[in-house]
Amino acid sequence: MAAASFAYDAEPALTGIDFTVLPGQAVALIGPNGSGKSTLLKGILGLIARTAGDVEVLGQWPAPAGYIGYVPQTDQLDPNFPVSLEQVVMMGRYRSLGWWRMPAKADRRAVAEALETVGLGNRAKTRFGELSGGQQQRGLLARAVASAPRLLLLDEPFNGLDQVNRDALIDTVKRLKKQGVAVLVSTHDLDLARAVCESVLLLNGAQVAFGPRDTVLTLANVQQAFGSVGVEMDEHTIVVPGHGGH
Amino acid sequence: MDLAMLFTAFDLPFMARALLVLVVLSLVAGLVGVLVNLRGLEFISDGLTHAVFPGVAIGFVWGGRDGLFVGAMVAALIAAVVLTVIVKRAVTSDAAIAIVFTAMFSVGIIVVSRETNYVGQLDALLFGRLLTVSPAEVNQTVVVCLIALIIVGSTLKEQVFRAFDLEGSRAAGYRPLVLDVLLNVAIALVVVAASSAVGNLLVLAVLIVPGAVARLVTNRLWLLFPVAAGFAILAAWVGLALGYDASVNGGVDLPSGATVVLVLVAGYVVALIVRLALDRTGGPRRARRVAVAH
Repeated sequence: MAAASFAYDAEPALTGIDFTVLPGQAVALIGPNGSGKSTLLKGILGLIARTAGDVEVLGQWPAPAGYIGYVPQTDQLDPNFPVSLEQVVMMGRYRSLGWWRMPAKADRRAVAEALETVGLGNRAKTRFGELSGGQQQRGLLARAVASAPRLLLLDEPFNGLDQVNRDALIDTVKRLKKQGVAVLVSTHDLDLARAVCESVLLLNGAQVAFGPRDTVLTLANVQQAFGSVGVEMDEHTIVVPGHGGH
Repeated sequence: MDLAMLFTAFDLPFMARALLVLVVLSLVAGLVGVLVNLRGLEFISDGLTHAVFPGVAIGFVWGGRDGLFVGAMVAALIAAVVLTVIVKRAVTSDAAIAIVFTAMFSVGIIVVSRETNYVGQLDALLFGRLLTVSPAEVNQTVVVCLIALIIVGSTLKEQVFRAFDLEGSRAAGYRPLVLDVLLNVAIALVVVAASSAVGNLLVLAVLIVPGAVARLVTNRLWLLFPVAAGFAILAAWVGLALGYDASVNGGVDLPSGATVVLVLVAGYVVALIVRLALDRTGGPRRARRVAVAH
C-alpha cells in the first residue's frame, strides 16, 4: 500500500498510509482511539472508499473476495441472535460454498478443525451469545480460520480478554503465520504486538511511523501518535494520562 | 366447536381453496417472516404493505379482480427497490418510510374512492375475501409464493449471515444491497400473494407473527423456519374451521381473514406466556432472554 488515503463520505479519515505486510508476517496497528485503525482495516476490505494512493491486496485491487479473514469487534453483534458457535464458524465457509449449496462433510470438518485450533472444540453447539466475550472473539477468529484466508485482519482482538483467551488467541495467530498467512492486527496491547508482530504501524489520522517493531515503538514516536507528552510506555502497555491503562 | 368440523369444513370447495391458499402462504411467510424477525424489519414490512395498496387499487379500478394482481405486482416491485434505496441513503429511515408509504396508501384510497361502490371494494381490498378466492387466484398465489420461495431459499444462509453480522458478511464479499433488494422483493411478493386472500391490512400479521412465535419457541437457527411455517399452517387451519363453525352452528358471520389473524395472535400470546413462565421457573433454558417482537 503506497500513500493511500481512506474516507467516509469525502471526509478523509486516514491519509498517507505506506506499508507492506508479507506472507507469514504480522503488522500491529497502534494508535489512540479514532486514529484510523479500524478505518484502515475496513479500507483494505473495501468497506469504505479509498481516495488516494495505491493499495494492493495479494497483488490485486479491489481486494479479491474470499482470501481475507476479518475478525470484527464482538460488541457489534446481537447476543440474542439464535445461532450456535458452530453455525457462526460455518459462515466462514459460505463464500467458497456459493449460493444454493448447503455445507458438505468437508465444510463441517473445516469448522471442527477451526474450533479445535482456537481451543473451543467442546463449545460447538453453544449459542454464540451465551459465550464469554473472549470466547466469542475466538469464535470469530475460528470463522476467519475456517475460510482459509491468506490475509487476516483483527480489530482490537484483546479488548476485555482474560489471560486464557489471550494465550489461545496468540497461539492461533502464531500458527496461522507459520502457514504463511499475513496478519494485520489493531491493538492497544504491546504484549500482543511483542508476541506476534514483526512490524508496527503507528497511526494518528495519518501514518506516524512504520517499520520493525523495536525501531518504531520508541517513546518519542508513541508520544507523537498519542498527541501527548505525558504518555508513558512500559514493557506491556501504553499509559495515556486520563485514559486509564491504554 | 364440534371437532369433526376441523375436517368436514374443508369438504366444501371454497373452504378447501381458502385452506390451500393459506397453507402455501404460511410456508413462504414462515420462511420470509423469520428473516423479517432476525433483521428487525417489521416496520419496513408494514411500510411495504401500505405501498402495495395503490397498486392494488389502481389495478382493481383498471382491470377488476384480474387487474388487482398485476397492479399489486408492479407496485410491490417498485416499492421494494425504492425502499431498499431509502433505507440505505436516508439518515432517519423510519420517518422516510412512514412518509412515503402513508402517502402511497392515501393515493390508493383516493383511487378506489372514484369507484361507484366504494365501501364494498375498499372493504375487500383492505380485509380480503378469503372464502371467494377463485381457482385462478389460487394459481396466482401459488406461483407468486413459489417465486418468493426460490428467492429466499437460494440466499437463505447468506441472509442469515447478513442478519447476524453485517460487517462480517461484507468483508466476506457479499453485497448487502443485493441481499436487501432480494429480501424486500420476497417480502413484497408475500404481500401481493396475501393481499387478495387476507387483505392488505392483515398481511402484516401473516408475515410477522409466525416468525415471532418461532423465536419464542426455539433458539436453534434452522428449526426457526419449519416452526414458523408449521405454526402459521396450524393457525390457518384452526382459524378457518373456527370461522366456518361460528357461521354454520353459531349463526355468527365471522370474517375469515380476521379470524385467522386472531388465531395467529392468540397463538403468539400463548407462546409468550409459556416462554415467560419457563424463564421464570428456571426451565430448561433459563439463560435465554425472551426475544419479544417489536
